Amino acid sequence: MQSTASVLPATAPEPDRLALQATGVEMRYSGTLALKGVDVQAEKGTIHALVGENGAGKSTFLGIIAGRVVPTRGTVRIFDQPHVFGVPRQARRLGIATIYQELTIVPALSAQANVFLGQVKSHSGLLDERAMRRRFEELAAEMSVSIRPDAIAGRLSVADQQMLEIMRGIQSGAKLLLFDEPTTSLAPPEREALFRLMRQLRGEGTTMMFVSHNLEEVLDLSDVVTVFRDGNLSGSAPRSEWTKPALIRAMVGHDVVENRRVERAPRKPGAAPLLMATGVTVPGAIENVDITVNPGEIVGIGGLVGSGRTSLLRALAGLEPRSTGTLSINGEAAKWPETPREALKSGIVLVPEDRKAQGLVLGMSAMDNIAIGRFDAVSRFGVISNSKMNQKSRAVAREFGFAENRVGTIVRNLSGGNQQKVMLGKARFRGPRILLVDEPTRGIDIGAKDEIMTTLRRLADDGLGIIVVSSDLEEVIAASDRILVMAEGQKVAELDQATQPAKVQDILNAAFKVMTHE
Amino acid sequence: MSNVPISSAAKPASRPLFTRDIFLQFGVVWAFVLLLVASAILYPRVFDPNNVKNILSQSAPVGIVAVGMTFVMIGGGFDLSVGAIFALGAVVFAHLADPLGLWGAAGAVVVASTICGVINGLIVTKLRVNPFVATLGTGSAFGGYAFIYSDAAPQVPNDFSFQYLGTEAWFGWPISIYILIAVFLIGAFVLARCTYGRSIYATGGNTEAARLSGIPVDVLRASTYVMTALCSGIGGMILSSRLGVGQADMGGSIALDSIAIVVIGGTSLLGGEGTMWRTAIGLLIIATLTNVFDSLAINNNYQLVAKGVIVIGAVALDIYARRIRT
Repeated sequence: MQSTASVLPATAPEPDRLALQATGVEMRYSGTLALKGVDVQAEKGTIHALVGENGAGKSTFLGIIAGRVVPTRGTVRIFDQPHVFGVPRQARRLGIATIYQELTIVPALSAQANVFLGQVKSHSGLLDERAMRRRFEELAAEMSVSIRPDAIAGRLSVADQQMLEIMRGIQSGAKLLLFDEPTTSLAPPEREALFRLMRQLRGEGTTMMFVSHNLEEVLDLSDVVTVFRDGNLSGSAPRSEWTKPALIRAMVGHDVVENRRVERAPRKPGAAPLLMATGVTVPGAIENVDITVNPGEIVGIGGLVGSGRTSLLRALAGLEPRSTGTLSINGEAAKWPETPREALKSGIVLVPEDRKAQGLVLGMSAMDNIAIGRFDAVSRFGVISNSKMNQKSRAVAREFGFAENRVGTIVRNLSGGNQQKVMLGKARFRGPRILLVDEPTRGIDIGAKDEIMTTLRRLADDGLGIIVVSSDLEEVIAASDRILVMAEGQKVAELDQATQPAKVQDILNAAFKVMTHE
Repeated sequence: MSNVPISSAAKPASRPLFTRDIFLQFGVVWAFVLLLVASAILYPRVFDPNNVKNILSQSAPVGIVAVGMTFVMIGGGFDLSVGAIFALGAVVFAHLADPLGLWGAAGAVVVASTICGVINGLIVTKLRVNPFVATLGTGSAFGGYAFIYSDAAPQVPNDFSFQYLGTEAWFGWPISIYILIAVFLIGAFVLARCTYGRSIYATGGNTEAARLSGIPVDVLRASTYVMTALCSGIGGMILSSRLGVGQADMGGSIALDSIAIVVIGGTSLLGGEGTMWRTAIGLLIIATLTNVFDSLAINNNYQLVAKGVIVIGAVALDIYARRIRT
C-alpha cells in the first residue's frame, strides 16, 4: 500500500460543491474485507471513473452509493444529506439513479413501460401515457436511439435493452447517476451516443460515476479517475494526471505480492498433446480459439470478466450445446463434446466456477458429493457400499488436504475452502485426463489457496493436463506453464513462461490492446 | 449425530444448540409421539391390535402412493395425477379380473400405470412443462379415461377371488399390510442404499451440479414419475380389491393425501431432501388422526378442515426450521 495515492487535492472542496462525500467506507463479506475504509469525493457536475482489477472493491463501492449494499462502517453524504443505506427507494429520493450491468428490464413489458418502471407519470391515479410517450421520444432523440416505444422489451437486442436501462436511469432527472460498466454490450455508435449524452448531462450539472474496464473510455470521458486495489484506494486524481500505463500500474500496484511459485517436475519432451482443440466457437461469446494442453502442463487463461474465458472452459466441458470446434485427445480425433457426459467420456472434467449453483449438492455429505455421478464405483449390483465409499473418498480428500474424518459432514456446513477441496476431490475421483478448473480459489483463505495450487501442480506432475481460469492474474502466473490471454472472445496472446516469466502487466497490456483497436 | 454443527463454535454453549438441532431434525417424531399420547387419552382403544390392523389396512392404498410420491418429490418434482392413475388402476383391475384372473389383471394394472408414468415423465423432461401443470393436465386426462374405460359404471367382477389382496389375511394380519410394509421397505432401501436413490437425491438437490457430474438427470427424473404411477396403480388395485368394486371416482383425495403425508414427514417440496421413514411417520400421523376422529364420530367435513390446517402448519414449520438451522 505505497504512495500511488495521496494525489488528492490538498485543500478539500467546500461541502456544498460536493455531490458525494464518502468517509471511511468499509465492507466486510463473511470474513473478507472487500473495502478497507475508503474516502471518495465527487464534485457536482463531474464525471468520475472507478477502475480496478476484478475484486478490487469498485463495484461494492458503487453498490453502497446506489443504496443496494449496506457497508459495515463509514458514512456517505449525498448533496450534503446523510445517505440511508440499503434502501434503493431512499437513494432515488436523494437524487441517485443507478444503471446496472446485469439488465433489470421486464421482458414482457413495452420499451416505454420499462423506461418508466416504478416511476410512472400519472394524473390523479390514471397513467399519463401521452406524457410518457413525449418524454420517451425526447430521450430517444437525445440518445439517438431508434427504439419503438411499443416494442416488447424482451425481443430487443441486448444493446437496445441496455439503452432502455440507461433511459430509465436518466428519465427521472436524477442528479447523481451511477453506471456499472455501461458500455460492455454496446456497439461503437451507441457507445458514442451514450458518451455524448453523458457530456451533455454534465453540462447541465449532473454528476456521474461509472465503473469500467475499458481504460481508453475512462481516459476519454472522465474528469476524475479513482483506482481501487485490494479494497483500498490506490490513487485518485484528475484525468490530466493519468496515463494508461499509470492506471495499469495503480491497478496492479508496485508491491506485487508474489504468489508462491510452485516447483514443477521436469517435463517429458516429445509426447503428443493431451488435448488439442481448434476453432472453438461459442456463438456470441468466443470465436475461433485454439488451445493445446500437453501432459503435465498447466495452462492458465488470463483475461477480464466477459472476455470469454469461462465460455471456453464450458465449451470444452460439453456445457455449450451450440459450440463448435474440433477436438483431439492424445493425438487422436475425438467427438466434439455436446453434453457433459460426452466430455467425461473423453476424460475431460470441469471444476465449475460456481460452487453452490453448479458444483455441489449442498444438502449431501462430502463423500456423497465426491462420488456423485460415479456411484457405480462404490457399489455392487446397484447397492452402495458405505465402507467402500468412505474409504475411497477419504483417499481423495487426503490428497487435497481435506480433513478425512469430515467426509461425512454435510457440505453446506463446510467452509468455502473445504467446499472447494471437495469439488476438486470429486473431479479427481472421476480419474480425469484433463482437468478444467474455473476460479479455483475464489473466496477462500490463503492457506487453502496454497494447498489447492500445490495439489494441482502435483496432479500435473502425475501426467494430467490442467487448464486454470482465474480472475487473480498473479495466481494465473504463479500456477501455469503457459498463459493464453483472452479479450472479447478471442485469443489475443500466448505467453510461454518457460521462455520468459510473465508479469501481470503483460497480461493486462495484451487484454487492453484489443479494446483500443476496435 | 457426531457432527457438531459448525455454528456452535461461535456460541458459548454448544449443548443446548445440539439438542435444538436434534429437536428440529426429528420434530415430526415428537409430534407423532404427542399425537399417540393424546389419542390414548381421547380414545383408549387406539392401541388395540384390531384397531391397529384397521388403521394400517385402511391406509395401505394411500401409503403405497406416498412411497412413490416421496421419490418424485426428492427428485425435485411433483405429481398431481396420482389420484387419476389410482382410479384407473382400480377400474382396470376390477374390469379385467374376470377375463384375466387375479394375477393377469394385476399385470394389466402394472402395464397401464407404467404407461401413464412414462407419459408424465416425458412431458416433464422432454417438453419441459412444469410438473405441477403437466400432472394437473395428465391427471384430468387419465381420470377422464378411467371414466370412459369403465363407462362411468362401477366394475364388479363375478369372481370374488379378486378380493384376495384386499380382504384375506396371513397369520391374522391383512395381506394389504404386508404389501404396504414391503413397498415401504423396498422404497427405503432403494432410496437410502442404491446408486439409483442416491442419484435422485443429487438430481433434486442440485440438478445442474448433477448434470455436470454426468448423471442422466432427465432419465432419472422421468423414472420417478413411472415409479409413482406404478405405486398409484397398485394402490388403486388394492382398494378395489378390498371394496369388491372398481370405480372411476375412487381417486378423489389421493393426490392431496399422499402429498400431505410426504410433506408432513418433512420431505422438502424443493427436492433433494427427505427420507422414507419420514413418509412412514407422515402416514402414521394422518392415519391415526383419521382413526381417532372417526372413532370420536367427528364429522368428515371437520376432518377435512383439520387436515388442511395440519398440512399447511407442517410445511410452515418445516420452512421455519430450515431457516433457523442455516
